[in-house]
Amino acid sequence: MTTRRRVVGWLAGTLSLLLAAGTVSAHGGSLAGGGRESITVPTWLFLSTGGAAVGASFLLASFVTDRSFIERIHDWGAPLSVSDSRLPVLGARAVGLAGYVTVLGIGFFGPTTPQTNLAILLVWVGWWAGLAMTTYLIGNTWRLLNPLDTIALALPSLERDYPARVGAWPSVVGLLALIWLEVVSPLADDPRLLATAIVGYSVLTLSGAVVFGRETWFAEADPVERVFRYYGRVAPIGRADSGLRLRLPGMDLSTPRLVDGRDEVAFIVALLWGTTFDGLVTTPAFTDLTTPLVEAGLPPQLLYPIALAAGFGLFLGAYWLAVRLSRRAADTYLDETDLAERFAPPLLAIAAGYHFAHYLGYFLVLAPALWVTLLSPLSDPGAVPVYEPPGWFGSVGIAAVVVGHLVAIWVAHAAAYETFPSRLQAVRSQYPFIAVMVFYTMTSLWVITRPEVSLPYL
Amino acid sequence: MTDDYDVPENAEAHECRYCGRPFAREEWLALHRGLDHPAQLDDDEIAAFRAAHEAEESALGNFRLRALGALVVIYFCLLMIYALV
Repeated sequence: MTTRRRVVGWLAGTLSLLLAAGTVSAHGGSLAGGGRESITVPTWLFLSTGGAAVGASFLLASFVTDRSFIERIHDWGAPLSVSDSRLPVLGARAVGLAGYVTVLGIGFFGPTTPQTNLAILLVWVGWWAGLAMTTYLIGNTWRLLNPLDTIALALPSLERDYPARVGAWPSVVGLLALIWLEVVSPLADDPRLLATAIVGYSVLTLSGAVVFGRETWFAEADPVERVFRYYGRVAPIGRADSGLRLRLPGMDLSTPRLVDGRDEVAFIVALLWGTTFDGLVTTPAFTDLTTPLVEAGLPPQLLYPIALAAGFGLFLGAYWLAVRLSRRAADTYLDETDLAERFAPPLLAIAAGYHFAHYLGYFLVLAPALWVTLLSPLSDPGAVPVYEPPGWFGSVGIAAVVVGHLVAIWVAHAAAYETFPSRLQAVRSQYPFIAVMVFYTMTSLWVITRPEVSLPYL
Repeated sequence: MTDDYDVPENAEAHECRYCGRPFAREEWLALHRGLDHPAQLDDDEIAAFRAAHEAEESALGNFRLRALGALVVIYFCLLMIYALV
């Protein structure tokens, strides 16, 4: 009884602290649509407040020490009844295929203005912003919609053995390659190029599916499928042993064995790093930092892959350093890989929070344009309607970032309780991970407070 | 559980006789037995679990006080800085 009262008290405390942080960071400018404003508090103070909010939420979470209370929260939910009918699956596959054909058709033969081209809008607004948001807010539907999966159903398979040693590494490299391609090439402006890139990706994916078998390829090597699968684990609706299950958002992330192996840990870090890199390259500091390198003779084409790989290495290195320190702080005999696997999934909640912050505004602004072009895909209306978000909209993005961190901290707290028999040991094991989260948060907040400049050397 | 363990040489390890998981401290083993194998324990192990649990509770009480102190410090530091900046 006292525990519950204590919990309620601390929740109230968290809220007031968050409100304080919210009003401060509301000046931080809008995350959405790339329009960044200058802030009224000094940057160092804004960053420290963000970092302190993460640290304080960890302290608040550590006050919840009742194991059965934590378990009740994590087990809360209900199985959802699913009809045995094949119709929804077939319908989803048909919708996915129709979308795929539309994107390729309009991409190659539609209008060339990006704002009125259905292929551009469908891929970036409908799919990468809209569908991805529904994936972590509701549940993962990409598994059924994925048109390449549907096409692969009809193809023969050689069923070669997928090398177990390779694991998820192709998807890590694939994800970094996609991020690189998205940043350096005008994929969001040139419908022909976008359609060509999709054809290239499809050929690669389908050949992989033919050689190694459809299920193996999409489970292991395909980066897009993996992004959606991982985002789907944040969602309240997920797959359980028998059919679908409803639970509190994010609570699935504390399940043991959700992530298996160093390759899958690397994928989660790559997902998190990707959202940061996107913004980082448009900061003036990136231009300042890279100008001497290029002047010293570094080929500009190599600049972006190197920066992408170096930053990924830094993020991954920070995570593994935290794992090593956590192992020492908790004085445990579990090996490093085990710890890394246990505490990587909470980072997905942070990645989802950043994705939401980045893309909600983008989605809302362009959703009317998507609707209009959907009605008349081949004609070029010249101008399309866009939605003008209100002034307070920037704080929605900040709130999403904060909520992502809160969920991550809570889930990591629960995972630590499940891993360690002593509750103090569990709390101690989290210190290094909290430091890493503070580092990730401050990096991302720093990026969004910088003015946006055009990409250098492109 | 199929966890992997990495016990350093010369390190003291208390192994769980039900699942083989090693622990650095005896009271953690006692807590582990009570939490993960509650139905199999003998009387001594139950007593050890109770004792370890009580010791843990009082240590947690200390921790809460320190965490509360840290929160207050964070809160007032930020408050002062915002008042000055």
